[in-house]
Amino acid sequence: MKALLIFAVGLPLLAQAPATTPAPAPPGTATSVAAPATTTDAPSPVPSTEPVLTGWIDLGYRWSTGVDGSFDTYRSIINLGSGPKLLGTDFTLTDPKHRWFDTIQVRADTWGDEPSSSMHVEAKKSGMYDFNADYRDFAYFNFLPSYADPLLGTGVVLDEQSFDTRRKIAALSLDIRPGHWWTPYFGWDHDSSGGTGATVFVSDGNDYPVPNTLSDSTELYRAGVRIEKPRFHVTLEEGGTTFKSGQSLYQNPQGSVNYGNVSAPILGQTLDLTNLLAAYGIGGSSTYTKALLTANPTTWLDIYGQFLFSQPSSHVNYQQTDAGNLYLESQVLFYSSEQNLIAASSQQPHTSGSFGAEIRPFKRMRIVESWLTDRLHSAGSSAGTQTLLNPYTELPLSSLLATTLASDYSQEAIDVFYQATSKLTLRAGYRYVWGDASYVFLPPEGLASMAEEQLRQNIGVGAATFRPSQKISVTGEFEGGTSSGVYFRTSLYNYQKVRAQVHYQVLRSLSVSADFTLLNNQNPLAGTNYDYSASQESLSFYWSPHGKIFDIQGTYSRSDLKSNISYLEPETLTPQLSIYRDNAHTGSALFDLNWPHGKRFAPKLAAGGSFFISSGSQPTSYYQPTAKLWIPLGKHATWFSEWQYYGYGEVFNLYEGFRTHLVTTGVRFMP
Amino acid sequence: MRWQILALGVTMLAAAPSRNVAQTLPAGYVGSQTCMACHEDIYNAFEKSPHRPVDVDAKREWAGRACESCHGPGQKHAESGDPALIRDPANLAAGAVDKICLTCHLNEPTQIGRLQSSHAHNQVSCIDCHKVHGSEPLVTRKAAAVNTLCANCHSNEWAQFQRPFHHKLPEGDMTCVDCHDPHGSIRPVMLQSFAGNDPGCFKCHGDKRGPFTFEHAPVRFEGCQACHEPHGSANARMLTRANVRFVCLECHANLPSAPVKVMGVVPPAFHDLNLPLFQNCTVCHQKIHGSHVDRNLLK
Repeated sequence: MKALLIFAVGLPLLAQAPATTPAPAPPGTATSVAAPATTTDAPSPVPSTEPVLTGWIDLGYRWSTGVDGSFDTYRSIINLGSGPKLLGTDFTLTDPKHRWFDTIQVRADTWGDEPSSSMHVEAKKSGMYDFNADYRDFAYFNFLPSYADPLLGTGVVLDEQSFDTRRKIAALSLDIRPGHWWTPYFGWDHDSSGGTGATVFVSDGNDYPVPNTLSDSTELYRAGVRIEKPRFHVTLEEGGTTFKSGQSLYQNPQGSVNYGNVSAPILGQTLDLTNLLAAYGIGGSSTYTKALLTANPTTWLDIYGQFLFSQPSSHVNYQQTDAGNLYLESQVLFYSSEQNLIAASSQQPHTSGSFGAEIRPFKRMRIVESWLTDRLHSAGSSAGTQTLLNPYTELPLSSLLATTLASDYSQEAIDVFYQATSKLTLRAGYRYVWGDASYVFLPPEGLASMAEEQLRQNIGVGAATFRPSQKISVTGEFEGGTSSGVYFRTSLYNYQKVRAQVHYQVLRSLSVSADFTLLNNQNPLAGTNYDYSASQESLSFYWSPHGKIFDIQGTYSRSDLKSNISYLEPETLTPQLSIYRDNAHTGSALFDLNWPHGKRFAPKLAAGGSFFISSGSQPTSYYQPTAKLWIPLGKHATWFSEWQYYGYGEVFNLYEGFRTHLVTTGVRFMP
Repeated sequence: MRWQILALGVTMLAAAPSRNVAQTLPAGYVGSQTCMACHEDIYNAFEKSPHRPVDVDAKREWAGRACESCHGPGQKHAESGDPALIRDPANLAAGAVDKICLTCHLNEPTQIGRLQSSHAHNQVSCIDCHKVHGSEPLVTRKAAAVNTLCANCHSNEWAQFQRPFHHKLPEGDMTCVDCHDPHGSIRPVMLQSFAGNDPGCFKCHGDKRGPFTFEHAPVRFEGCQACHEPHGSANARMLTRANVRFVCLECHANLPSAPVKVMGVVPPAFHDLNLPLFQNCTVCHQKIHGSHVDRNLLK
């Protein structure tokens, strides 16, 4: 049947005249990095007063050979399925008379029950408006038993924190009078998610995996005006968001008993859950203000400043009823049903600002001075009423809690750029970072009810950029910091960062680039002994010999991460070391072969893919080879077919590996 | 050859005065039409470029001589044909290139984060990303092309996206610019912002934004990358560690780090980590990004 479908689609197209339309790069393949960005002009339209349509649309069908291994892992990582697809389209409508628009551009990718789909529309009329619309739809499926399955040892394969949801993201923006000295603009952003999953209902002494439904949506509205004059610019924007979210956990009231993750009895009794309905009703809103300024009052001075203020708030109603044989540890009480009602609210005023200047006192020197602050103060409160029932008693419990989380962060930086020669630029800089943070619970409970910490860092920077010719550029940067206070044990403390990049155009047809990064971070203080080191090196090339029918590009990357930090084993309070290692080899390549033009068929073949192999704490292999063939069928159509293979393996969790082949075939139509 | 170029230049100069624009050119300038005589391909592409209004809008300072707005006065170059006698931004230091571009573009909102931009710090000039003459937009908007452009320099980051758990950039569903502002940002690592000054992560992960009654401090103070590798990881959920408990225990170490205090070093919870139940803390502490109703982030 499938073969018949291919034949039926392909037969009429084979009758068409040949064409030499260059085939496009394969979408969705592992892109190598050395290729220069290229653009191809659309063919000049025939002079006309009617709108002109140019572009293409790819329609096709994908087959899967089936997944050998873990289908859940396949869905968590790849999730491509079989069926008819709109694989992509990109077209432009041009109006030579410029009546309602100059151009409308539409792009869309992978529609038809795909793990992700997108669409983008741009419409513009010079001096009148500029309109953009963007829509994306992502499937988020995550079910990896190795992630959260306390029952795996008993043979139950279940990720107790799994998701099967879809997220939809949309954005509209409209600029009025673009290019004029004042430009009003408007925007709307939407983000929502919904679906099902598994989660855990936590109770004293046991916790119970249960199904749940999830939903949330955020709307953002904004409007502003840009004022752009030769000597200064001001942008003023006002916006707001609304947010709502609902999550429901349920246990079938007529279903079987849920014995939870703990099978050991407590005081001779086995805990269980027979009925549950828990629901979160969450709402929120925020307003924000944005003011931006740039100015160049003199030829040697540029000024930058911005002020941002937002104040999101949330309010929540949580309702929970449950039944079973449950346990309250604080009162050593078994109960058979519970009602729990909680109302909570929070708000978070957040102020950010920066001010800076670029000063050019001499022809070869630039001094950049900047100051930045970010002040976030969050406050929340909750009131709860919990009623526990058993055949002998009714126990009401109430709670009233308040929290504050505050952070005042600031940094002052100065950088000096010196152009030693026309080919060498040097940079030296210094940055001082300071901040205060606190976290308070009221009423206090235990030892962790209050924390106040300070952040104090001195950071030095040195860098050089050397470009002896257009063919070669070398950039190196070093940053070193020392701290007398940080917020967290794993924060940057005494650290060194290095980055070096080299790009060399060896021949007109051959370019090579290299990238090196290094981060060392040590916190030697007693009780922490944090030692972290990560480095990565990449080498890329792009070879496109002039006059040849092929080009090839590739990248190889090697990374190495070592981390040691001490902690106390919670149960025994014995000193332990958290050790993490990750040594990885990554490569990607793409080979393009273009048969000579001028013959009846000028097909193109692209083959390549990527691999990732790691050892250490999570030894993993991941292979993604691919090949794609294009055969022009005429002036207005190109047939293509693509093969993809995905192979994934883990050393410690063999049952999560998978392998699959996917074959996609279709036709590109061009008007 | 040199004489031929010279002759062509002289011919063009002779033809130039017949144009009204050329008659009002300042000294040293020859006008765009003269440039077209030798650089016709560039000129034709420029005609479709978003920069074209510079050449045709009389309100702007450079009407009729847009080429020279960036390349400087072209008379000596046109007369001699000598490339050394014209300013070529491709041969200039990045700071000098930016100065040319910012002559017109400084006073735009896109430049507001420039002082914090590592691109500006590391001598990445405007023309490293933007095609000034092209008939396409100044910078590509197509996802795959945007990512290729960034990966040309950031090959280390691109390699991280080849790991199994990653944001969907290699698939062309996202771009680097979805998360990073290449012109600079008030947030670290040129991260985009959302709703004023929140991290751009919340544009797509709105359910993690809060505010929460019970916050998890690292989410606010260090951002998502305190626990996640946003470019890609071999670990599920793009976590920084293979086992969830170590993500948590490295901060919640039960061990104060005197003499300098740090946050989150809570007292012992007496969990037996040998039991599978306690090997993934988020099985119970599931509201790890912040909870509206439970101080221990259990619900």
